[in-house]
Amino acid sequence: MTPTVPELLMGNFLCMIEPLPPEAMGEFMAGRVGVCAMISLLAAQEAERGIEARLWENSAIRAVLSKSAIDYGERFREASKGHDSDFSLGTLDRANAALRRHLIALHEMAENKADTKLHQEIIALYVKMAEARRLDLPPMPGS
Amino acid sequence: MSLAEQLETYLTRLWGAPARVEGLSRIPGGASRETYRFDAQVNGETKGLILRRDPAGSLIDTDRRLEFLAYRSFHGRGVPVPEPVALEEQGAELERPFFIMGRIDGGKAASPFTVVPYGEHAQALGEQFFSILGAIHAADAAGLPITEVAEAPAPDACWSRELDYWEGVIDADEQHPQPIVRAAIRRLRREPPAPAQAIRVVHGDYRSGNFLHDEKGQITAILDWEMAHLGDPLEDLGWAIDPLWAHFEPGRVGGMMDRAEAISLWERSSGLKADPQALAWWELFNAVKGMGIWISAAREFRDGGFKDPVLGISGWYTARRHDQIIAGRLAALEGLA
Repeated sequence: MTPTVPELLMGNFLCMIEPLPPEAMGEFMAGRVGVCAMISLLAAQEAERGIEARLWENSAIRAVLSKSAIDYGERFREASKGHDSDFSLGTLDRANAALRRHLIALHEMAENKADTKLHQEIIALYVKMAEARRLDLPPMPGS
Repeated sequence: MSLAEQLETYLTRLWGAPARVEGLSRIPGGASRETYRFDAQVNGETKGLILRRDPAGSLIDTDRRLEFLAYRSFHGRGVPVPEPVALEEQGAELERPFFIMGRIDGGKAASPFTVVPYGEHAQALGEQFFSILGAIHAADAAGLPITEVAEAPAPDACWSRELDYWEGVIDADEQHPQPIVRAAIRRLRREPPAPAQAIRVVHGDYRSGNFLHDEKGQITAILDWEMAHLGDPLEDLGWAIDPLWAHFEPGRVGGMMDRAEAISLWERSSGLKADPQALAWWELFNAVKGMGIWISAAREFRDGGFKDPVLGISGWYTARRHDQIIAGRLAALEGLA
């Protein structure tokens, strides 16, 4: 997923040091600081859970690709090979991007073949993938 | 020359009389235009105004002429919108395209990241919010200023035009493969909705947060018409009730009211029907459109050197919220939820 945590935190830094014109120093600057604060809070969550979420997702996609190879072609078995040994977010994301491309291709083939079982299995996986990457904001009162 | 001085030069030329700008202040929120409030003094009169200027990088690529004409289409026609004052597509003295409109003071807009933003006035605001949307959709588009630039699609082409556009945005700006939104796009194409029952002005971003209220239960302005177009009015309804805008209250659309009541109010005000199947299509579509906006934001964040945190959080946190919403909808459509 983009943008990455280093990019977001770099952005926060740049926001804080960049001089703004006088007309942007009041309400606008206060709003900007608020958004930077939210980004910092969410980046802390990503640092805490992001590696685990990516390891899990990569492993889950590999499992679906591997077991579908019999019906959908050896290329999916090939794609499912390997494991994550470098636990940096950037390396995990690169592996994830390749795996997601194969998952998209497999899902499309399953739909074209009216393979409801695999289609629904992949949809269920999507729900878990989205949940695993969830970021939580604390309740912030609006008034 | 400062922005205030540039504005003074422009307004002096526009009005043919010396103009003075006071209290120029940029307003937060909204990454598609830079927005400023200011007072202009001319001929002994003080005018409260808003400047909307194109930024260098933007959340969404939109046509400021179209937005300006949308305000002209509804100002003074029963929909609370600010008065459009001037449009400069070449930028004139301000160097970048902009337009100026009247300012409606005393109003507050809700951030989508907050909870219970409307307090005890939620129901009253919800009733107005969905009735105003219905009023926009009740208007016959023929003859409205927006038709100078907005093309009317055929009723059976509304869905494909919008889906083609947003899929194109995702194709162009995606930086990491997005299997969930891709599955949603394929599903939308496999099962298109019924043709639009009427071609109407679609606000394009009608949601909680894009209106001002007086904190006493009254909506004072409908804002942010930059994605306005002609199309199927169900598109707006689907966006307005998207869970992303519910302020973390699953039971209240827009954080304001019960879904069925909201739809009923819209139907009464618009004179149109919300066919459940067609509305379900537009709801899923709107989540895809949301992802298109967030994916674009991520691209702009990178291309702009990571400097706009609104683009950053939109391309990250908000994108993940919509991924969850889409996955949940797909699962529900399969009977898995």
